[in-house]
Amino acid sequence: MDNIETKKYTNARHALLRLLIIVFLIGLILSIMLAVTVGAVKIAFSDVYKIVIYNATHIKLGNFDFAVLLGDLDFVSRGTMYEIVWNVRMPRVMMGAIVGMLLAMCGVVMQATVQNPLADPYILGISSGASLGATFSIMIGASAVFTGTLAQMGTAFWAFAGALGSMALVMALANVGGGRITSAKLVLAGCVVGSLCGAFTNIIVYIGQDAENMKNVTYWLMGSMASARWNNLALPGICAVLGLLFFLTQMRTMNTLLLGDEAAITLGVDLSKWRKVYMVLTSLLSAVAVCTCGIVGFVGLMIPHIVRGFVGSDHRFLLPIASLTGGIFLIWTDVLARVIIQNSEIPIGVITSAIGAPIFVYMMIKKSYGFGGQDR
Amino acid sequence: MKLETKDVVVNLSKKDIVKKVSVQVKDKQFVGLIGPNGSGKTTLLKSIYRVLKPAAGEILIDDIDIKGVSVKETAKRMGVVSQFNNIAFDFTVEEMVLMGRSPHKKAFSQDTEEDYRIAHEALAKVDMLDFKERNYTTLSGGEKQRILLARTLAQQVEMLVLDEPTNHLDIKYQIQIMDIVKSLGIGVLAALHDLNLTLMYCDYVYVLKDGKIVANGPTEEVITRDLIKSVYEVDCSVERNERTGKLYVTFYSNLSLEGKR
Repeated sequence: MDNIETKKYTNARHALLRLLIIVFLIGLILSIMLAVTVGAVKIAFSDVYKIVIYNATHIKLGNFDFAVLLGDLDFVSRGTMYEIVWNVRMPRVMMGAIVGMLLAMCGVVMQATVQNPLADPYILGISSGASLGATFSIMIGASAVFTGTLAQMGTAFWAFAGALGSMALVMALANVGGGRITSAKLVLAGCVVGSLCGAFTNIIVYIGQDAENMKNVTYWLMGSMASARWNNLALPGICAVLGLLFFLTQMRTMNTLLLGDEAAITLGVDLSKWRKVYMVLTSLLSAVAVCTCGIVGFVGLMIPHIVRGFVGSDHRFLLPIASLTGGIFLIWTDVLARVIIQNSEIPIGVITSAIGAPIFVYMMIKKSYGFGGQDR
Repeated sequence: MKLETKDVVVNLSKKDIVKKVSVQVKDKQFVGLIGPNGSGKTTLLKSIYRVLKPAAGEILIDDIDIKGVSVKETAKRMGVVSQFNNIAFDFTVEEMVLMGRSPHKKAFSQDTEEDYRIAHEALAKVDMLDFKERNYTTLSGGEKQRILLARTLAQQVEMLVLDEPTNHLDIKYQIQIMDIVKSLGIGVLAALHDLNLTLMYCDYVYVLKDGKIVANGPTEEVITRDLIKSVYEVDCSVERNERTGKLYVTFYSNLSLEGKR
């Protein structure tokens, strides 16, 4: 009798959480639809959607172009309005969604991998390495040091290279002395590499004299979606989809990882192998996110936290819901970044922290916070 | 299933903690591992359940060295209850016990009704079914220990490795846990502190001191006054309880004997 009751409870909770995934998915789509209508330039809803629908579908049947149903063909396929809506706003909103999903997803996986709810996707020194790479590219310029192909590479490339370099260094440091890679070793190695990269970044900025470059560095370090274009959207987009698909197959292993090293091994999880795989993958994914948009703090750390507080630690629900929440969150913070000051833009990292910190304090005060439980 | 270690050496920070230890657990045998603190019991068990790599020697399951076997395969056959550790993330009791099913599942497969049935049976066995919706971290030490046993029961293994499984439990649950383990009728290798529990439940016992086996044999033949004096450096008497027919140990300290002199 008791058993039957339990099954009902479990299924009801799981059904609710599954429904929540769908709700958040719809929320993400709605957010994209709405966010694209907001911006410094006032454009009527109907005009925005005409442009979006026409360009997203390109419906043509023989010689008949459905665009005539949407109004003027010229209006929806060229001109200022078309440029703003389709080539500026839309990629930005998509980039927000993609980067938000990437960072939140990486945060969830990283926290499971190092078994510490305070880990974030940047734990392997990704952000500090990327900052160093970007600072080098902006302040010194690759062409000053390298010739050939390397000299032609832009900031995004150097940020990515810096991120991967520091990741490799952190992994190597955590491996020193043999034995299993423990979370404590990782965190310490991350700190070491972080301060090392920080020192180099600072010296480059200190030596550099160009005020304009200095402003660009500062701006990059705080993150922005402004550089989003259709052509630099593809890589993060594909990474986000592939990453999510892969980690969705890993939910059972990640759940077991949360129980600690010993328990994971006795439950048949090859800890050393998976820990390395997850760390390398999340680092790659967050490096992809960082190199296009700069350092967007907070999302990868806090979104998994906050979502865990509501849905629990079970990755079957935590991973998809946190990813979607991350996407929605970043879309709207980017909207704020665009409109909060007229004719100007605030770095998105400033807003994510400004919004996130009070939310987190509220959760702490409410004492509802148990790293993902239901008991309040 | 037979579990065997052959001349296993384990070192921690370059110091040999376990020195050429050979133990054997035959099918369905309840084997105790006793010895003072720091004698290497836990270290030996950790090498058996694959958290530590032995520096030398072999660990065999049914005569096959586990070195060449995946941890998932060993987890299907051998379960472990050690002292509970604190976890930073919270799960419900039910989720916790369901994780015992993971060695039997593919990474992406869902928990079936069968898995729930097995998990609930395991919870009922440790008398914790009413706690299934509770959060694991809100439980007391003894309750946590029973949940961990339930998780191992859900693993449906042929061999149990226990590392002082009764440590945080009051006497009722010490006996309950040992009774449950005994009634499973599977092979057990248990490191135990309590010599009376060892006498009550173990068929065979190995005595470890300074990383070496100093005695082994059927429990009642091994646990004697002289052995306890030499291994634990404590005086005692070993007598037979008329009701249970088992031996039991009473310890003396110099202080407790003083009044009698």
